Amino acid sequence: MKTISFVLNGKKTSIEVDDNETLLGALRERLGITSVKEGCGIGECGTCTVLVDDEPHYSCLTLASKANGRDIKTVEYLSSSGVLHPLQEAFIKSGAVQCGYCTPGMLLCAYSLLLKNADPDARDIKEAISGNLCRCTGYIQIEEAIKNAAEICKCDR
Amino acid sequence: MLPKFASVIAKTREEALSWLSSLENPRIIAGGTDLMVKMRAGKQYSHVIDVAGVPELLTMTETDGRLSVGSAMTHARLSTSEPIIRNARSLALACGLVGSPQIRNMGTIGGNLANASPAADSIPPLLIHDAVLVLESKETRRRVPLEEVIVAPYVTSIDRKELLGSVEINPLRGYREGYRRVAKRATWAISRLGVAFAIKEDKGRFTDVKLAIGSCTPMPFRPKKVEDLLKGAEKNEAIITEAIRMALEEIKLISGIRPSYAYKLPVLKGILEEVLRG
Amino acid sequence: MFIGQDITRVDALDKVLGTAAFAHDLKNNTMLFACVVRSSRPHAMIRKIDASAALALDGVVKVLSHKDIPGENLFGAIKKDQPFLAEGRVRYKGEAILVVVGVTEEIARKASGLVEIEYEDLEYISDPFLSMRSAILIHDGGNLLSHRKVIKGDAGKGFESSDVVVENTYSTTWIDHAYMETEAGIGYTDERGHIVVASSTQNIHYKMKEIARLLAIPPEQVRVVQATTGGGFGGKLDVTVEGYIALAVYHTKRPVVMRYTREESFLGHTKRHPLYIEYKTGAGKDGNLTAVEVNIIGDTGPYISYGETVCLRAAVHATGPYEVPNVLVNSRMFYTNNPVSGAMRGFGVPQLALAHESQLDEIAERIGMDPLDIRMKNALKRGSLTATSQVLHHSAGLLETLKGIEPFWRARRKQGPGSGFGLGCMYYGIGNTGISNPSSCYLTFTPEGRVEMHSGVCDIGQGSDTVLLQILCDALGMEEMGIDLVRGDTDTSLDAGSTSASRQTYISGMAVCNAAQKMREYLEGQGYYSGKPLKDICREAAEKGLPVFKGHFDPPTTAPDPETSQGAPYATYAFATHMTEVHVDEVTGVCKAVKVHAAHDVGRAINVSNVKGQIYGGVAMGVGLALMEEFIPGKTESFDNYYLPTSMDMPEVEAIVVEDREPTGPFGAKGVGEPALIPQAAAIVNAIKDATGVRMRQLPCDIERLKLALEKNKIK
Ligand SMILES: Cc1cc2nc3c(=O)[nH]c(=O)nc-3n(C[C@H](O)[C@H](O)[C@H](O)COP(=O)(O)OP(=O)(O)OC[C@H]3O[C@@H](n4cnc5c(N)ncnc54)[C@H](O)[C@@H]3O)c2cc1C
Ligand code: FES
Ligand code: FES
Repeated sequence: MKTISFVLNGKKTSIEVDDNETLLGALRERLGITSVKEGCGIGECGTCTVLVDDEPHYSCLTLASKANGRDIKTVEYLSSSGVLHPLQEAFIKSGAVQCGYCTPGMLLCAYSLLLKNADPDARDIKEAISGNLCRCTGYIQIEEAIKNAAEICKCDR
Repeated sequence: MLPKFASVIAKTREEALSWLSSLENPRIIAGGTDLMVKMRAGKQYSHVIDVAGVPELLTMTETDGRLSVGSAMTHARLSTSEPIIRNARSLALACGLVGSPQIRNMGTIGGNLANASPAADSIPPLLIHDAVLVLESKETRRRVPLEEVIVAPYVTSIDRKELLGSVEINPLRGYREGYRRVAKRATWAISRLGVAFAIKEDKGRFTDVKLAIGSCTPMPFRPKKVEDLLKGAEKNEAIITEAIRMALEEIKLISGIRPSYAYKLPVLKGILEEVLRG
Repeated sequence: MFIGQDITRVDALDKVLGTAAFAHDLKNNTMLFACVVRSSRPHAMIRKIDASAALALDGVVKVLSHKDIPGENLFGAIKKDQPFLAEGRVRYKGEAILVVVGVTEEIARKASGLVEIEYEDLEYISDPFLSMRSAILIHDGGNLLSHRKVIKGDAGKGFESSDVVVENTYSTTWIDHAYMETEAGIGYTDERGHIVVASSTQNIHYKMKEIARLLAIPPEQVRVVQATTGGGFGGKLDVTVEGYIALAVYHTKRPVVMRYTREESFLGHTKRHPLYIEYKTGAGKDGNLTAVEVNIIGDTGPYISYGETVCLRAAVHATGPYEVPNVLVNSRMFYTNNPVSGAMRGFGVPQLALAHESQLDEIAERIGMDPLDIRMKNALKRGSLTATSQVLHHSAGLLETLKGIEPFWRARRKQGPGSGFGLGCMYYGIGNTGISNPSSCYLTFTPEGRVEMHSGVCDIGQGSDTVLLQILCDALGMEEMGIDLVRGDTDTSLDAGSTSASRQTYISGMAVCNAAQKMREYLEGQGYYSGKPLKDICREAAEKGLPVFKGHFDPPTTAPDPETSQGAPYATYAFATHMTEVHVDEVTGVCKAVKVHAAHDVGRAINVSNVKGQIYGGVAMGVGLALMEEFIPGKTESFDNYYLPTSMDMPEVEAIVVEDREPTGPFGAKGVGEPALIPQAAAIVNAIKDATGVRMRQLPCDIERLKLALEKNKIK
């Protein structure tokens, strides 16, 4: 067992984890953050995506101990101020959500993209979500949502 | 679900080396994108030593005209690193094509080399840059050319007690350099074929040609005879055809005939044609 | 008006917040974990099972075998033929043998690895052609599961009078549903002593009945709840985790959770049927189709699942959406020791679309006709006779979809070498084939003055909850969404049937309309429409007990003739035309779908955004079917080599919605879920032909298959 401390969605957090525990397991089982999903366990689906220092990582391939001292964000962060993030609004409005299993991972990748690139073109958007599978939507409404949200974020700035 | 193991996080190179020497059955983990998959499938180690945060392994330096790349640098960093793009364009391109954005944010060049997959995308570019690996243990430090480190698919001569500290590469300037890769889907798929190339031409002649081919033979390799043939030769269809014939011959010599060659060899031929014609 | 509006999904908010509770998320730490021990052999007798090491492991609670099943050890959506747990013999690799229950996932999985099973291998029937000839019987009744024919006119004579005849063979492979959420669920006994199972599923009432049979208890003592479900596509129709969970709860009397890993999911659920299709098409010089003869041979694996359904549906859709006077189809499904094939988006029709659309292009080429013109010429339209001689009285918008595509088709220009364009058309009967497939629901009020809809429809991501609410609002003439939805729970709803066959909007939508009509009459009587607030009506009614309004709909169909399949197997059909532009790299064999125009006659788009979502998702699945997806038993059993299209593989898609209203449907609606996928692979294959001159008759045309074909073509 190890004690790890990290910033989770803006809040300092300390937990005990097993040495062989994944970050995915720690978030779901110890912290109850079930928005982080398991779809494959081997880095091939993206439903377990979390942001580590604002960059998307697969939490299924990340040892929990690697979170120590880092900034970890899950989709809960996007609405932590109590209002929906423009990305969330746009996902709802654009029909980007069907079964919703890929949605948290998609939102996080989109969020990370917009941090780096306020004005992404279609190709940037496609690439940003290219490590996240969606079996339902064909990605198109997700891409539209990200584009629309980027516009709104730009105006807000 | 992973098998049981103890994990330690190295803060310095020294720390990593001393653990490597003292622990019983340790394994280094960097990004974990290869190792975690293997452990999930049942591979067991007593200890896992996390080196991803070791500062010495995260730096890039230029000395005596050679570039030294820290082994824990991620594909994401390398693919966007200005010195890499300037000095080793094929490497930047290859790293930018590895896996998916998440894999590139996690996976490291050291892990890619130490894992020694025939399909590792960084290896062909590193071969044409005459990469030398710096391998260190508590007692020793040696510099070994990449070609000699990989001894069989997924097997290297890196000792279990050794840490891959950095990779030194020869910058190539003034070359037409690139990396071509074929995979079964547009992205996030292992290479079926990878070709790194750096070509210098002058007045209708090849003045220098460096090629490395991955995912085709048990280990990525440089068809040196082909390079020698082309070096100094006049650039024309006949020599290109001959060069390709030789390359394919060499592959058959290395690996015999494999079922996958029905696909791979015609594709390689086509890619080499495009690459050499420019 | 809610119909035709892009009402946002009722489930979307929870999903973007990450709070939606999927089956994977229901677990708590006091639950036992169950996992399945599966056969490592495709066909074998089980000689000995030694579970002693597993049982000796600390924390193992139970190891359950078929002997522990109190009721019937057989399940099946159509016929009960598949054991929950194998009894003495296994018939495919991955067949469930034991359920191991432990206090944690780690222990249960470890224990299941300790079970030793001795097998005596039997001959492995590895394909339907072997199955046909082999003396080894997979079941006592023989290796032929089903043989369905479609006979209309006289095909022989039709070919005699044809100017051109084209004859070819096509084949497709296993496809995995690959929903992002693998199978999962929890179970427990409630205070009444009832067994409760909550899972990721497409059909709660069916699963309730299967659990009751398994445990030999009345269905009323079983409650099945649909957790938020991360996709289905047909793969969550058959019973998987639900049966094992119920059995484990029954024996341990404790809450139990199950979650498949991705690898288990690949082994543990059905696949799309691989079909071999011999197809002969005859036509006149003018392009009129004269005759079609089709021979379909399918591999259903060792158990039925939806094998008969696919056999029949493939047969009746074999001609494609065209008027063909003479038709002879023989469709046969054989048992093999391959993975069990079952329901997957389209039930055999996408496979047939590959064949009929390729054939049509070849005919067009032979007679020098434009591919779009030949489709227009033969298109089913109002008044047409289908292959089963069903008269299409209304809502037959194929021509409108073709016309929607026409401007883009006529204006197409190749973008250099490797560029090509292809068309694909389809029609698809909504609902089950020639059998009753009813849906029921009920409406009531809350004491607070809201309408309450009780729905047994499983929304698996396609958006039926939202669509049914839209239908109800308009049917009641409500101005705002004053409706509470009580859903997905056998305790609080009537049987709505499965979420499959693109049937929920049409059939359950009509059941909602039916109930709404009754409620409307009541409200009328209470003065609601003359201004009396619902609150007051409900308050008054509450004293006497709130009224309940049941709705029901069963689409009018006729059973297909057993010899000729003639009849009206579906009450209505959806139609579509896709046009796909591809780019083929002849050096590498990489084909990229660049741009798709997809025109769909959906009757009426209740929710345009949802319809588009279905179309885009269908196109993605079609790209996978055409270019990369292939389940190979023992090889592609996880996502590291079973490839799904990523965002970078997706073409641009322009969806064109055609609304030829269906008078028997809710506000004119039909369905779109499966149709969205069906013509896409065919359009891609036709585009590859246009781009390269090479006709691909085997799916998927992955990079290797395509490159080899291109090389072969060069030599020719
Ligand atoms: C979904 C997915 C897609 C992928 N796609 C690609 C791809 O397209 N192309 C490609 O080339 N690879 C691909 N990979 C493989 C992998 O991501 C790369 O090989 C990556 O570079 C490995 O780096 P890592 O830091 O994650 O290695 P780790 O998993 O941390 O380590 C891999 C091996 O290297 C050893 N090691 C690591 N660092 C050192 C060191 N400093 N000294 C000594 N030994 C060390 C470890 O002990 C281990 O044996 C993919 C992997 C996944 C899961
Ligand atoms: S669970 Fe699929 S990528 Fe992590
Ligand atoms: S919405 Fe279902 S996987 Fe993306």
